[in-house]
Amino acid sequence: MNKTFAIVKKELHSYFSSPIAYIILIATLSLFNVFFFLIIDQNHEASLRDIFILMEFMFVFLIPLLTMRMFSEEKANGTMEFLLTSPLTLTMIVLGKYFSMLIFFTLLIGMTATYYFILDYFGDPDPISILFGYVGIWLEGAFFIAIGLLVSSCTRNQIIAALVSYALIFSLYFAASFTKYFTGSVESFFMQISTRTHLENFAVGIITPSNITYYLTGIILCLVLTRLSIDNRLWQ
Amino acid sequence: MLIAKHISKKFGAYQALANVSFEINKGDIVGFLGKNGAGKTTLMRILTTFLTASAGTVIIDGENIAKHSLSVRTKIGYLPEKPPLYSDMTVKSYLKFAAQIKGVSAKRESFQVAKVLDDCDLNRVEKQKIATLSKGYQQRVGIAQAIIHEPKLLILDEPTSGLDPIQILQVLALIKNQRDHRTVLLSTHTLNEIEQVAQRVLMMKSGKIVLDEPLDELLRKKQLAQSYPITLEQIFIEYHQETPPRPFVSASVQE
Repeated sequence: MNKTFAIVKKELHSYFSSPIAYIILIATLSLFNVFFFLIIDQNHEASLRDIFILMEFMFVFLIPLLTMRMFSEEKANGTMEFLLTSPLTLTMIVLGKYFSMLIFFTLLIGMTATYYFILDYFGDPDPISILFGYVGIWLEGAFFIAIGLLVSSCTRNQIIAALVSYALIFSLYFAASFTKYFTGSVESFFMQISTRTHLENFAVGIITPSNITYYLTGIILCLVLTRLSIDNRLWQ
Repeated sequence: MLIAKHISKKFGAYQALANVSFEINKGDIVGFLGKNGAGKTTLMRILTTFLTASAGTVIIDGENIAKHSLSVRTKIGYLPEKPPLYSDMTVKSYLKFAAQIKGVSAKRESFQVAKVLDDCDLNRVEKQKIATLSKGYQQRVGIAQAIIHEPKLLILDEPTSGLDPIQILQVLALIKNQRDHRTVLLSTHTLNEIEQVAQRVLMMKSGKIVLDEPLDELLRKKQLAQSYPITLEQIFIEYHQETPPRPFVSASVQE
């Protein structure tokens, strides 16, 4: 656990030692703030439902930018050899990288918690539905990060990592849009794999076991595949 | 300390190593020679558990590396050809990180970091970002991370490549200082460096060990066979010549 924590610390140090992390934080929060005021002004509702839908859409673009370098950079710089010849298990390496990005992401959405207090000052928002909305957006971000991490473990090129992550996350996000072309089990399949289907419930304050299972299964599957991907590289 | 038995490695159809066997005794500094593509780096990567062998066994300090890879890694210090450095970190924070992931206990961490900073003469630059260091200093940081957990076996892949003569002397002195503490396997293209630090020579050619002898014995034997002093460079050329050297005599004189 100490070794995983050492990787988490090193990764967080790496994000915040360059201006990129600050630029991403400031730019994303500024956009969220603008849309928050526009949406509230238009809807006159003490709810963050539409903000969560907007956050989801923005994370589709943002997360591949955050995750593209996670393993690709290590491979390109030769530091992967350093990690893989140190007394670390592959699980420690994968979890260290994953948790560090999850902390960064949690910090990012945690900063938007002020929206609740603004709504509470001017209206009477439902704290439970807002909390559930945050749980949903956090799980979705955690899933997108796991996808980005997996793709990054397969290439040493950061641009390729970002583009493939975009392709995968976009496909999952827009999968629900393809349902109109299909019927029966195929329609149901596209509906079930779409992230939008699952976030919609959270956004209106409903948590169902199937929605939580969807995200957790996706996260665990991607992390296991990341571990296998590194293992495969290792034993080539 | 290290026993390699019948190691083979294939990358697809390409045979990188073929039935390589050798032993290294505790406390030896072994020079590892061979042309580019001879299989030195592949063999070093197998010894460090980065790659697995297609066949054969490696025992390090009594442990089979295939079965006890994590435990074996605590006994190995490795400096790849390109030092594995995080350029955005300072020297001290990088060495702290190296100590933590290599299993140095929290109690000893500060002591070990201070020790390698001292041993590798890095105190002056400990607060500097690695990206701002000269190549010589970066190489020293690479060696410092390799010895921070007090490994029993130190594997160095071309540690002097790209350094200026002064930096080479400094790095060689650093390697010489390791003699009392650990076994060293040193790969280099500069034969003069092997003569300066190594007690034994392993030479590879086309994935096979073609020479494995104590350096002084090798030079003495070769010298007895010749009437003039011989160097390791001449022995290396002798082993790697594809065709016998042509006499430097013009055709007209021959006629």
